[in-house]
Amino acid sequence: MNPKLYTLLWAIGTVIFILLSSLAVAAVAKAIVRRRGENRLYQSRTFAGYFFASPWIVGYFIFVIGPTLASLYWSFTRFKLPDPPQWIGLQNYIQLLTADDQFRVSILNSLYVTFFGLPLQLAMALGLALLLYRRLPGEQVFRMVYYLPVMLAANAAMLITWRLVLNPNNGILNTVIRMIEDAVPPLVFARQVVVMITEVTNAAFIGLQRGDFTLLQQTLARGLPVPEAMPLWHQSQLWSKPAIIFIGVWSSGAMMMIYLAALCSVPTHLYEAALVDGASSWQRFWRITFPMISPATFYNLVVGIIATLQIFEQSYVLTDNGGPAQSTYFVAYYLWRSTFRFNKIGYGAAMSWILLVLILVLTLIQFRLANRWVYYEYES
Amino acid sequence: MARRIWLLLSIVGVLAVLVAACRPTPAPTTPPPQPTQPPAQPPAAEKVTIRVMVVDYIPDKTDKWLEEEVVPAFQKDHPNINVEFVYVNWGTLDETIAGYFAANEGADILNLGSEYVAEYGDRLAPLGAYFKDWPDWQQFLPGTLDTVMWEGEPRGLPWLTAPRAYMCRTDILAEVGWTKVPQTFDEMVKLAGDATIIKDGALQRQGFTPLEDWQEYLSLIWTLGGTTYKADGTPNFDSPEARAALEFMYNRRRAVLPNEGIAGLPETTGALLASDLVACQWGNLWGAPVTSDPIWQKIELFPGFTDPDFPNSKPVVQVFNDWLAIPAYSKHIPEAVEFLKFLGSAQNLNTYNSHFGSFPSRKDAWFGYVEQDAVMKKMGELMGQYGVGFADIRETAQFRDILMAEMPLYFTDAQSLDTTLQNIQSKYIQVLKDAGRLP
Repeated sequence: MNPKLYTLLWAIGTVIFILLSSLAVAAVAKAIVRRRGENRLYQSRTFAGYFFASPWIVGYFIFVIGPTLASLYWSFTRFKLPDPPQWIGLQNYIQLLTADDQFRVSILNSLYVTFFGLPLQLAMALGLALLLYRRLPGEQVFRMVYYLPVMLAANAAMLITWRLVLNPNNGILNTVIRMIEDAVPPLVFARQVVVMITEVTNAAFIGLQRGDFTLLQQTLARGLPVPEAMPLWHQSQLWSKPAIIFIGVWSSGAMMMIYLAALCSVPTHLYEAALVDGASSWQRFWRITFPMISPATFYNLVVGIIATLQIFEQSYVLTDNGGPAQSTYFVAYYLWRSTFRFNKIGYGAAMSWILLVLILVLTLIQFRLANRWVYYEYES
Repeated sequence: MARRIWLLLSIVGVLAVLVAACRPTPAPTTPPPQPTQPPAQPPAAEKVTIRVMVVDYIPDKTDKWLEEEVVPAFQKDHPNINVEFVYVNWGTLDETIAGYFAANEGADILNLGSEYVAEYGDRLAPLGAYFKDWPDWQQFLPGTLDTVMWEGEPRGLPWLTAPRAYMCRTDILAEVGWTKVPQTFDEMVKLAGDATIIKDGALQRQGFTPLEDWQEYLSLIWTLGGTTYKADGTPNFDSPEARAALEFMYNRRRAVLPNEGIAGLPETTGALLASDLVACQWGNLWGAPVTSDPIWQKIELFPGFTDPDFPNSKPVVQVFNDWLAIPAYSKHIPEAVEFLKFLGSAQNLNTYNSHFGSFPSRKDAWFGYVEQDAVMKKMGELMGQYGVGFADIRETAQFRDILMAEMPLYFTDAQSLDTTLQNIQSKYIQVLKDAGRLP
């Protein structure tokens, strides 16, 4: 068949399907309210309401519920394209949780970036929001400037630009560090200490991750790095995760906007009262601002955990397929790789359900702990 | 009453569409049993459309050539065969092909990579009967035909050949006291160190690149006379050749980077070998300076080096072949074969490969740019003498991941040589077992 005609027929078929399915859903809804004994006006309104909502409802079932259920089923199967799925029960889950080194590595990498990176992102976002809250001249421009990275952060071209910025040899970041150190020579020692701490910490993490502490021993044996040793960023497994955290911090504009909105809603009379009582600016921040914006912190934390556990583009583009030595092999990247590179659909599905459970557990823990530190004004 | 009938019809309609959409796919995935020599069918008399999936290397150039020149020329003799192209890239090729096989329908011709025959062998149509009487078949280089053979039957035609060899800048070598390119593994290590310049904790010039390429690792194993698999199909990474090759790569890396705290080369564009940043490199001509660049007067192209400790050691030029296969699910195999034969003509292969400086896979297509260009000519000679096809790499994607995870751990001192080799061996065995390639 002519492919254009084929496409046209499919398009017409799709429209007919949407119309018919909407009519069917609306008719079922109407039949239900009729059974309940509602009047004709209510019935026709129900019909109209469901008819117009149905394209979305049907789409949700087909494109969300359907694939979700299929994914759940596949997670219990050995489904390696192009072979058909074979039921294997819990084998995929058992393999992932007990025998798959790469999965363990990827989960731990993701947790590393979450636990080390997210607090830094929150701190940066709050700091920027506090600065912008001061109503500086050109405030709108600054808001735009700080929000722009959110739109650009995971963009492939932007990540390639980051490769240039973070090049250990002649990248902009290391060049700027060198320039600052030339102006203030004592900073060289400070940088050596920072390099050593970062490398030892990351070598220890890799040791724990892989159960082999050779790299840590080597790093410790090197002692304080030579003065020329600069951060190696995406070139080294000891720096690749800090590099990704750095980019995450740079793109914390979305969190900043949430904080900014929260800051605007803090009642000014609280500050006025605190000023009358002689509270310092730190006391005003810690005793008033921070508790009052705690719902925003909570929101940023929950959303941040979910987003950080799903980091993908950075390991695909910036560090070139999860390198070096799989130090940026994150769980979302491994999931994609298993599913679309190895064609192990069942295995990838199981991984996605484990990731879902992990995110769910972390979120539930956050909600449980929220009672202790999140303050909602309406509760008082 | 009418409303009820209308409602009923609506529900029935929706159910009909749903049932049609959810119909079981025809048991797609187990390849049909194939006779060893299926009879060649003549092309159909009625008008048919075949779809050709190709890798889009140079979108504006190869696409245009295929659509505006090749297809019209083909249709002069085959007016009843319409040809459509599906363009993909290497990033989306695997899932596209897997989708085709899972659905048991898709493109009639698939662009496959050098090592793919082991991946899809049984699912590709055996074409021996179609090529049996085709005189052009004899023109294809034997090494390239190895890439397309599965269980004694050709499954397609090679159409792009890209060999990988070593290249050194002779002026840089002379600067560091070397009058000739390295002949042995030890010399290569020494040269890599001699030609490297490190200043302020960063590389200013790299004696050799790349430093951790998994494909070069395989090439080095073959150079030492080793094999990727043993006779029983198990991986061979517990062999002396696999150990020596990996150890060599480590030593060469240490000659370039005395420790892992040294910053790599600055980001640059264009060919590294033309930039004075690199003294020697391994790769194909795509990653090298363009062959018309005068810098080639200072570059020596050579097949590699040997290790006197390994008596079977012989330089290897790894040869990558893209090829076009016909899947067994195709309903237009005779027509697809006709198009393959047309595409595989000497002139077409020459034109296609001239777009990016690769080699036509048939000897009689080595004219024009292949003969006139001294670099191409030299590379062609090396390929003829030392070429070994990059073929039959089983479960490539996962194998690549294993090597890319394990090798850098050894190279960065995070793991011993023994552990690295053991991990590669055991993990690869597991992958092959999971895929049903090992009992």
